[in-house]
Amino acid sequence: MTGWHAPEHFVTRYADGSLPESDAWSLEKHLECCGTCAARVSRAVRGTAEGVVLAEVREAVLGDARHAVLGDTREAVLPDPRKAGPGASHAAKAAPRAPAAARKAHRARPWAPGSRPARILWAAGPAVRGAWLPAVLLVAVGAVALAHAGGLPDARPWLLALAPVLPVAGVALSYGPHADPLHEIAAATPSAGLRLVLTRTAAVLAVSLPLLTLAGALLPSSDAPGAAAWLLPGLALTLASLALAGHIGVRTATAVTGGGWLCAVLGPVLAAPGGRLTAHLSERLSSFLDGAPAQGGWAAAAVLCAAVLATRRPAHHFLEMR
Amino acid sequence: MTTASHPSRSLPAEPVGIRVTGLRVRHRRTVALDSVDLDFGPGVHGLLGPNGAGKTSLIRVLATVAEPSGGRVEILGHDAGDQRRRGEVRRRMGYLPQEFGYYPGFTVREFVAYVAWLKEMPAAVTPNAVERAVARVGLADRIDAKVRTLSGGMVRRVGIAQAIVNDPRVLLFDEPTAGLDPEQRVEFRELLRELGASSTVIVSTHLVEDVAAACTEVTLVEGGRVAYRGTPDSLAALGDATDCVGDNPIERGYTAALRAHRARPRQAAALGEAAR
Repeated sequence: MTGWHAPEHFVTRYADGSLPESDAWSLEKHLECCGTCAARVSRAVRGTAEGVVLAEVREAVLGDARHAVLGDTREAVLPDPRKAGPGASHAAKAAPRAPAAARKAHRARPWAPGSRPARILWAAGPAVRGAWLPAVLLVAVGAVALAHAGGLPDARPWLLALAPVLPVAGVALSYGPHADPLHEIAAATPSAGLRLVLTRTAAVLAVSLPLLTLAGALLPSSDAPGAAAWLLPGLALTLASLALAGHIGVRTATAVTGGGWLCAVLGPVLAAPGGRLTAHLSERLSSFLDGAPAQGGWAAAAVLCAAVLATRRPAHHFLEMR
Repeated sequence: MTTASHPSRSLPAEPVGIRVTGLRVRHRRTVALDSVDLDFGPGVHGLLGPNGAGKTSLIRVLATVAEPSGGRVEILGHDAGDQRRRGEVRRRMGYLPQEFGYYPGFTVREFVAYVAWLKEMPAAVTPNAVERAVARVGLADRIDAKVRTLSGGMVRRVGIAQAIVNDPRVLLFDEPTAGLDPEQRVEFRELLRELGASSTVIVSTHLVEDVAAACTEVTLVEGGRVAYRGTPDSLAALGDATDCVGDNPIERGYTAALRAHRARPRQAAALGEAAR
């Protein structure tokens, strides 16, 4: 537009990344309308160590663009323009095709790092990939097997007594220095804290709620509460654990809620005189789970805990440090 | 466009580095760091000191994984205690803990890509960034090996790769050379110098020769306080001026600086303690 062109030291300092941000912005603005300077910057950038990387980035971007054109709707996230520099697009025009090595053969594999299935697995966290999942499966399959083949026809009360604790245990095994071998590294990333805990809790609930309810439904019905009666208590205990975690840490919080439930349900039953444990348990569970007032109470508790979680966020700001 | 005509006298550049003022860190009843004031600009900063001096406490606070009990930490111009700014800080930071674990099934590529995902890097640039980071630590040929099959030194290099995968502006290495053989250490120092050209790198170490070879500045910590600050050369000069033990000037300087710090009037410290 004017006769102004970027001075040489601008171009070189832009290429090696030492140009102050405000000057870089000015230069970038200028490059939008000045082919001469754009070509000079492209040349300078190709001469640096980043030139090789740029060629690869270019190839990745072009690859994604090709996917998009071919009807693949995956998001083609563009690289940070500040990092790649305007040279990227110009280098793309001028440089020869990047070596085949830059085209990532592993991208095509469904479980390759960074692919969507892999990222879902990553989001699931340590509990769902570790020992917790087999434990939940064992409880669900074990209860059904015992009821149908073994000598425990009244398995449902026991499953209902245990079920609300399992998602809580999943949360305990999902986050924190005691549960996650990667915790020290993860804690220093922007994902750490409440967001990562909530993501992993969602994965735990997505696995345990349907699995244990299905197992309960497959058990012969007795006078115990229905197979879905544990869902609201399970949710309330999980949310209570999260609400407490900001104050006392995930491990202690889950121990308090899970342990509290077990003591309240099993304690009096085990202390009761005489045999007929299952009948006692069935009675006790009925008082906890049966009827609209009981279920309404659990729903209210869940809502309250969710509200505490949402409004007392500052307490969770140091979650990754407890 | 108008700013382009007056390029060199425009807005101040983005704040770089780390500023620590009045930092205090407690672990239960013991004080790990006490009224520490430090500034770190771009370059490689060696953090020296005996065991239990507070090096790891300092690095963990700077990495935003430990909460200080007092003072202020500013990283890249943001208050690290401010929750709203912390994500921004962490996105531009790399941290190698002294000890870290990994998921048993992970390959090197998956491990580094997972950390890149935690650091919220765009999915499109991650595969190349991962390969580049792994190549920079010399593990390109083992990128698809399971981490659990690697030797201790290699696992440490995987840790270095995850720290640098996002091209961080601030890098914190806690004992990065532990478990590396001499050749790998020489290569790592080369990488440190490279990283220090554009980023603020803080390296805690026991090995004074690492400091002499790769660092632009030295900070010596002892008993939760800063005992000495200077360049490797000034520390070596301090060693030459005294008759302290050590096999080379910088080791003698290290010992001399420690002794000088310990010899400072105890009464003053005791008075300060009583007044608190």
